[in-house]
Amino acid sequence: MSDGFEAAEFIAGFIAESQEHLASANGHLLSAEEAVAKGKATPRQVRELFRSLHTIKGLAAMVGIEPIVDVAHAMESVLREADRAAGRLPAGSVELLLNGVRAIEHRVQALAEREPVAAAPSKLVDALNALRQEGGDGPAAALATSLAPELWAKLSPGERGQLVQGITEGRRGVVVEFVPTTARASEGINITSVRERAATVAEIVKVVPQSRQTTGESTGGLSFALIVLTSGSDSALMEATATTPEALTSIALTGLNAAPPVVDEGLPDDAILHRGVVRVEVSRLDEALERLSALVVTQFRITRTAAAMRTQGADVRALYQVIAENGRNLRDLRASIMRARMVSVAELLERIPLIVRGLSRATGKEARLSITTGRAELDKAVAERIFPAVVHLVRNAVDHALELPAERRAAGKPSTGLVSVACQQLSDSQLELTVSDDGRGVDAVAVARRAGAAVPTTDEGLLELLTRPGVSTKAEITTTSGRGVGMDVVKRIAVDELRGALSMRTVKGQGTTFSLRLPLSITIVDAFSFVCGGETFVVPVAMVEEIQEIDLAQTIRGPDRRKAPRDVPDRRRASRATDMIHRRGEAVPVLRLEEILGLVATDDPRRKAIIVRRNGDPFAFTVDRMLGQQEVVVRPIDDQLVRVHGVSGTTDLGDGRPTLVLDLVALGGRLVSDSAGALA
Amino acid sequence: MSDLHVLCKIGDVEYVLSTDDVVQMESFVGATKVPGARAEVAGLVQIRGRVVPVLDMRVVFGLPAVAPTIDSRVLVMKHAERTVGLLVDSAREVLRIPAENFQPPPPVVSRQTEGLVKAVVQVRDRLLMLIDSTKVISEEDEHGP
Repeated sequence: MSDGFEAAEFIAGFIAESQEHLASANGHLLSAEEAVAKGKATPRQVRELFRSLHTIKGLAAMVGIEPIVDVAHAMESVLREADRAAGRLPAGSVELLLNGVRAIEHRVQALAEREPVAAAPSKLVDALNALRQEGGDGPAAALATSLAPELWAKLSPGERGQLVQGITEGRRGVVVEFVPTTARASEGINITSVRERAATVAEIVKVVPQSRQTTGESTGGLSFALIVLTSGSDSALMEATATTPEALTSIALTGLNAAPPVVDEGLPDDAILHRGVVRVEVSRLDEALERLSALVVTQFRITRTAAAMRTQGADVRALYQVIAENGRNLRDLRASIMRARMVSVAELLERIPLIVRGLSRATGKEARLSITTGRAELDKAVAERIFPAVVHLVRNAVDHALELPAERRAAGKPSTGLVSVACQQLSDSQLELTVSDDGRGVDAVAVARRAGAAVPTTDEGLLELLTRPGVSTKAEITTTSGRGVGMDVVKRIAVDELRGALSMRTVKGQGTTFSLRLPLSITIVDAFSFVCGGETFVVPVAMVEEIQEIDLAQTIRGPDRRKAPRDVPDRRRASRATDMIHRRGEAVPVLRLEEILGLVATDDPRRKAIIVRRNGDPFAFTVDRMLGQQEVVVRPIDDQLVRVHGVSGTTDLGDGRPTLVLDLVALGGRLVSDSAGALA
Repeated sequence: MSDLHVLCKIGDVEYVLSTDDVVQMESFVGATKVPGARAEVAGLVQIRGRVVPVLDMRVVFGLPAVAPTIDSRVLVMKHAERTVGLLVDSAREVLRIPAENFQPPPPVVSRQTEGLVKAVVQVRDRLLMLIDSTKVISEEDEHGP
């Protein structure tokens, strides 16, 4: 486990990212300037600016650069109001905002040069704040739509704002009337399923139940009005909600509060918004990967054939050139497909704000959420797996870590707690996701008591206790989290399933940060193929420390408890020899993989050993022989019948049969950590 | 439920499975063994690009596993989100058996097969047992891996 919050590293990240946002903010301000002078609205620019400043503010808050937070906050407030006013920036605001960007730039620059950061320019901040007060109409006045009054009355101010803002942003507001019937119910179409499906094509603002005259087919005399915002077509909405065109009513902004004429060449309307973007089912991408892996196998065969031809004396130099070129093309193709499979982390975390909002309502805690993802991307398969873990960490942060407002004030903290989700790409293949809060910190004593263990002295030790099944961060069970399922699941997903790392840093009274280090992809990996016990397997190269020859006749023999009396209680430990080799001053246990897998052992003592390391401990697994190294497409094993420890998936090496992808690290771990769930 | 049923043999005994459950039928030349999986699991096969776990129905019904023959078939079943293959010794005929011809199995049979035999039916002079494939597949879950 490593300290993911190395300050210098973090500040470097902050500088790089804020410079990017500042550049984009400048660009958008300049493009807005002309329109603003003519009193026209620039909703797209305002939104982009808002995003940039919001991100800068969040980042600056995380690294503790208060002057930047202050300026960004003042700018963000102006922009938020402009956004609510349909993208109309107040007169004179562009100049002030440009000054604001410059003020932030200076401070970022100072930070980069390790100079002291000047305080926030108070005149500028005051001027920005004054701009908001003059802002005129204010957000409430802008709220009026063609929505039927009885529905409008059911919306909270927040929901009204959400609806108006959504329409202002260029999405369409639609009311979908859903009438449950017995016939529909029997097909599984009910309000719950419709709501779920609608959520896939639209943002649901509210679902309002309405009573209606009972007709022959409708059940319960009830219908539902789904008030949604969508960028999709009516037909997509109808399909999702199993309704007909008559059930859809558009919502328009009305009266003097209607959006001003929008002059914005860049503003995407529906058609433009979708141009250049294709939604693809993951299964099709998987299919493309399958085809690619077949090509990789073919390449492998051609190379082998060419080598055979050469040994027979043929001149294959030209052929080798073609093979090399083909190899490059395959790598490029692979990269393209990989890119197509990537989803942005920002998109992955889209639902987090809603979750936090719901939780803070349910718990009475005030929570502010900051999401900083930059442009980080993850393979779809990783994203899907890690999402529940992230949700869990965010829930924990609000539900367990943040204190109630009164308690926070008593502790001298702002009454609103901060939950930050941030993400940073560490390398070509790794990314770090962090979830932090400024709450009470994990109570080590309480956790130790519940785990029935000694109070840990380090964060690592505390995390180890927290991730034991059944140990929660909070004593009592709440409705939202803390049923005892929890951190163990987060660890299982991040560490066991994704082969990443989980770490934690907690300071009593100040907050907790969880960091997840994740591979960007688990789909295509570089792997060694080998034969063991007559079967072919692959193991990811990243998992292997070294492959070496060993002579089993030369290994150091530990006690062989197979020869111990049969009443030795632990059958599994007793069934293996404990050989060791000496390697660079380390005693490395030698594990006969074929024995562990229940396969036929070979007699030849001269073997290859694959050396892996788990938590710093080395293991050597003996195999019959190595076959080669190639990129393989790993398919997860998703049926419980074949989900076993130590097997992380399957791949096709070109013979049309599945080949198992072994997780030797997990196998090694299983052999030390416990004796349950024996293989074979 | 359609009237069509696949007639298959497990050991010397004939069984039927509803074609509603069977998505495809493939010949079987062996599976990739999964170390640590339960004895009933013959392994993994790749069928039209999909990796499918296969249950050896011989082992499920208490017979010893045998090497695949030219007659061995995998009946690929879809059950909720899962796709599982059932390995049988042969599967050659598709029979049309109206639902009303099925009778509940004698209680003893039902109990001793743990509900895996859902019904019995007489076709011409043969007595066939209807396998509850859903039960076969979910039966496996209950034990857990």
